[in-house]
Amino acid sequence: MGDPLTQVNALATEQPPKNELSTGAKVLNWMADNGIFVLTALLIGVAVIGVDGFASLQNIADVFHRAAPIGIVAVGMTFVVISGNYLDLSVVAQVATAAVILIAVSNEYGYFLAIIAAMIAATVFGIVNGVAVGYFKANAVIVTLSTTYIGLGLLRFFSGGSIFFGPYESPLATFGAGKLGPVPYSALVLLAMTLILSFVLNRTNFGFTVRSFGVNERATRLGGTNTGLVIIGAFLVTAFSAMIAGFVLAAFSNTAVSAMSTGYDFRALAAIIVGGTSVFGGKGSVMRTLLGVVFVSVLTNVLVLLNISFGYQQMALGFLIAAAVSIDALARRAGKK
Amino acid sequence: MSQTQTIQLGSRSTGFWSKLKLTIARRTEGRGVALLAAVLIGVLLTEQTVFTAYSVTLGRIALVGLVALGLTVVILMGELDLSVASTLALAGVVTASIPDLGLGIMAGLAVGVVVGIVNAFLVAVIGINSFIATLGMLFFLRGLALVISNEAPIKLNNVEAGIAFGQPLLGPITPRILVFILVFIGLQIFISRIRVGREFLAVGGNRQAARDAGIPVKLRIFTGFIISGVVAAAAGVMNTLERTAADPIAGSTVLLASFAAAIIGGNYLKGGRGSVVGTLIGAASLGIIQVALTLAAVQVPIQQIFIGLLLLIAVTTDPNNLRAVISSIRTLRTGRGKASEPSEAGNRSTSS
Repeated sequence: MGDPLTQVNALATEQPPKNELSTGAKVLNWMADNGIFVLTALLIGVAVIGVDGFASLQNIADVFHRAAPIGIVAVGMTFVVISGNYLDLSVVAQVATAAVILIAVSNEYGYFLAIIAAMIAATVFGIVNGVAVGYFKANAVIVTLSTTYIGLGLLRFFSGGSIFFGPYESPLATFGAGKLGPVPYSALVLLAMTLILSFVLNRTNFGFTVRSFGVNERATRLGGTNTGLVIIGAFLVTAFSAMIAGFVLAAFSNTAVSAMSTGYDFRALAAIIVGGTSVFGGKGSVMRTLLGVVFVSVLTNVLVLLNISFGYQQMALGFLIAAAVSIDALARRAGKK
Repeated sequence: MSQTQTIQLGSRSTGFWSKLKLTIARRTEGRGVALLAAVLIGVLLTEQTVFTAYSVTLGRIALVGLVALGLTVVILMGELDLSVASTLALAGVVTASIPDLGLGIMAGLAVGVVVGIVNAFLVAVIGINSFIATLGMLFFLRGLALVISNEAPIKLNNVEAGIAFGQPLLGPITPRILVFILVFIGLQIFISRIRVGREFLAVGGNRQAARDAGIPVKLRIFTGFIISGVVAAAAGVMNTLERTAADPIAGSTVLLASFAAAIIGGNYLKGGRGSVVGTLIGAASLGIIQVALTLAAVQVPIQQIFIGLLLLIAVTTDPNNLRAVISSIRTLRTGRGKASEPSEAGNRSTSS
């Protein structure tokens, strides 16, 4: 029967069997892929109509301000999540470290040295996390949990837990308060970060390897990729995004303290997962994360406007994570059958 | 293959030393024992007060260790329960917010059961990764605790009972330490002697094989998460009783310490290997370190760094991980030139 190559070719050109999915599976798949678009549109629609004070220029600027640092963390952390390593809890420590370094060091030695110092700190965070996860194959959740405590401990020790104030009318403060029309500069930073990281994830070799690692770690390794380096790269992207988020946060309030970024790990994760990036790795995009950030920020804002307490906000976000991951998991399983 | 192995085992188990070697190779507590020994020697040389004030030290070990014991059961199955910190806080808040003490304690423990069932449902039935599922629960439950308590600590209604609970029963044994010891003994027997408990290790070691062998895997996962939930809830109830107040954000440091205790004790995070004794050893070393550092007036941030470093080292020096690391380094050294030879590549892929 001919030579093997033509046989293989014939097999390859053969139509793949039609994927018969049940209606429930189709609905689940559709929800996992597109649910966030509908949800965000619905939420914004309801907020504009039903919530007093949502549609004011002042409030929307406020939403942008609050969304920017969390969003920058989230678009960076998307790399770690897509690579199949769950998340980077240590962004809490990273954001606070960058903010404190920026203000404390710039007060004494100027911005140039402050930014260099913050970059060194971010590199250390990224490399420690990346080496432990990529080369030592340690669990990312536990590794980043421990680096969170190490980082926050170091920060509290060196800062003495005190609050650092930037000088009044410094370039940083001007940047933090600056706006382009109704849009604060910080939101523009978020947009720029999204575009850059989206390009990196979709169009570069590194981004491709990160995604393929998330789909199949073993295949990527056997394909000749140094997987350890890829993981270090993913954690470095997260670390540098967290650093920029720290800068933005410091600029906004012109102060820095070690406890300023509590809850960022969780909010960023909520944005990533709600956006439709899969915690199973491989599936997702930076643009989706941006959408998730919009959703989470608007939701938080609406809850605040409705005078709903912090506890309920936490519950809502926790529930969102569980629900989004459940839909993803169910869709995945339904798709397999 | 299997025949040669049995012969090897037979010939190995003759002498005393080889028997000892075999036991050591089989046990997982090596790092925990090494750390405990180092800690004991270090503390003996520098801070003997830790041993003279042994009731304080025991209390601290019980505080760190109780949650870790519950966690161990889940880790043995290859799952993780990050929600223990919030379960602890929520159980405490629920206990304090019910006027009747007995009813409050029952309700607090019931919180643990419910949390365990929800966690297990998300993991076993829906099929979410336990890290993410329990992380969501961690924040959900913290929110719930804040809502129930109106974001402020709740005072216990029956303060006398709380104070009585903090008193030692016999020697240095306070009710908390007694509960810790009982939970330890109970879980140790459960995991090593009772069939259901031993099946936990099978579920963690190879889930498909466990399923094929007829073990009800989902049921075991439910049992495991319920155990860890109830133990965490019990820790929360006891915290509330001892402090006569419930703090809705309690337990954030417990998370780090209890994971550190379980992992230092040699429990393999991917499941199937580990022991309750190991967790006890890990908790003992951590508790002694914490008390020693506090007595030596070391600042809290430094203590955090210390525990964080220990956890980082523990999780990266897992023997199973190290084997993979060594093999990957070997791959790097032999270079990619050799990897193109089919036989080499085949060998490596099977060995890694």
